Amino acid sequence: METNTEMKLKDFESALKSLEEIVSQLEGGDLALDRALELFEEGVKISRFCNAKLEEAERKVEMLTRGGDGRLTETPFTAEDAGEA
Amino acid sequence: MDLFAERKIYTVSELTAEIKRTLEDRYREIWVQGEISNFKHHSSGHMYFTLKDDQAQVKAACFRNTNRYLKFQPEDGLEVLIRGRISLYEPRGDYQILADYMMPVGLGSLQLAFEQLKEKLRREGLFEAVRKRSLPLLPRKIGIVTSPTGAAICDMLRILKRRNASLHVLIYPAKVQGPGAAEEIAAGVRYFNTRNDVDVVILGRGGGSMEDLWAFNEEIVARVIFKSRIPVISAVGHEVDFTIADFVADLRAPTPSAAAEMVSGAREDLRATVQSLRGRLAQAMRLQIEKRRSSLERLSRNRAFEVAPNKVRELQQRFDEATLRMTQAAMRFVTRVRHGERVLQTRLARVDLNQVIARKSNVLARLEQSLASDMRARLKAERSRLELAVGRMDALSPLAILERGYAICRDPQGTILKDATAVSRGDKVDVRLTRGTIGCLVESVEDTSGPSVASVSAPSENEVSLQGADRLARD
Repeated sequence: METNTEMKLKDFESALKSLEEIVSQLEGGDLALDRALELFEEGVKISRFCNAKLEEAERKVEMLTRGGDGRLTETPFTAEDAGEA
Repeated sequence: MDLFAERKIYTVSELTAEIKRTLEDRYREIWVQGEISNFKHHSSGHMYFTLKDDQAQVKAACFRNTNRYLKFQPEDGLEVLIRGRISLYEPRGDYQILADYMMPVGLGSLQLAFEQLKEKLRREGLFEAVRKRSLPLLPRKIGIVTSPTGAAICDMLRILKRRNASLHVLIYPAKVQGPGAAEEIAAGVRYFNTRNDVDVVILGRGGGSMEDLWAFNEEIVARVIFKSRIPVISAVGHEVDFTIADFVADLRAPTPSAAAEMVSGAREDLRATVQSLRGRLAQAMRLQIEKRRSSLERLSRNRAFEVAPNKVRELQQRFDEATLRMTQAAMRFVTRVRHGERVLQTRLARVDLNQVIARKSNVLARLEQSLASDMRARLKAERSRLELAVGRMDALSPLAILERGYAICRDPQGTILKDATAVSRGDKVDVRLTRGTIGCLVESVEDTSGPSVASVSAPSENEVSLQGADRLARD
């Protein structure tokens, strides 16, 4: 169960998909109570993951600049750096 | 004396030389329009063809040094306007036009070049819809190839800021017009493909003339987009401008701003989707519990449970409380998370974004964590309570007792006998076993100080009626 969930949580797309599956399974009816609770807990876990992904707030703007050695490095960039052209 | 004495007699060379001089002096810079035929692009790089109209034709050439600057590819049937001079080739006495400039008539040469490359790449399958990838639902990092001083980057960053998009933007600065621009743009796409953390690449440039946007019509750019492992959005010029890059890219954005909308647009919808799934999850769980509650209720109404009505009622009540709490916990979990998000979002609208984001995610994480562990503990407790309740109800069921070999003895009126002295020798009693009922006659009665014992015999003439256990339950 645990590894199953971990596997499903590798990216947002698949997490959302398994959440949808869990919800429709749970809505589907004939389940043992144990299984229903298992699904519910897993659903809560996955929805938590989805929300975390949605809130992942790395708001950053960087520009790549070429250093003396020819390698590209990332430096912060603000809209003010951009002139009107 | 000589008839020809005062006449000038030319040698062929002299004549040809004079004509050459005359022609070449007279037609130093001419413009001529006609249709190309017999076009040959020689391996030396020079182009040879005939320029004709409906009544005449003239040979023409365009040398390598000149023709490599042509944007379009000359071909048979094409109507062109040529600037050049007349040149006479003495060994053959042919004259021809040497073109130093050529442009298609009707379409501009860029337009023609555009159509020609578009047709070529289309035939190669670079525009096939099947190979176009969709954008990831939730891109983390986007790479933008554009001029860092252009209008396009300003537009895109403004939209991303307004949409509150949680994105990490990486700008690859590139020239977007003029010589070398196509090469820089291609290098940008190639660079992002060497990283493994970029989910989408945007090629951006503000509006301009066809010449200004030309870099995005070059084959090198088209090829590198085609090869890109990462989905590419082409966002060049205004809505009406189409470039080759637009056709090859996985997605064409009408403007750079639209591209920014595309990469930031999905988040709000997804938030709503996840929220509704959470609601359905809690609701479905509630229904699961509700279903069990009502079947338990049905079971408890069964007369078989009259043995211990109080016990059952008590268990029933405990079960109800447990399920109610569990349902409430599930519902609260959803509402509180929603509320928490709303509160945070309202605050977010007022306060400086970057400062709040860190705090917001912390609070949310903590809130969710405590809710989840709270929920888990509660679920666990309620589940074992539920199991216990169900187990005890099982144990108390008279069916279970009979299963263990006990019997229930009733008098003909159906009253359950608990005292041996309530019957006397010769009375009829019914003895119910787990499967079936035995009709018996009392032989003797012993009144002990302990539990009463009545000795009964099943008369041979009396039928032993077998009834199903479920029948008993229905009695």
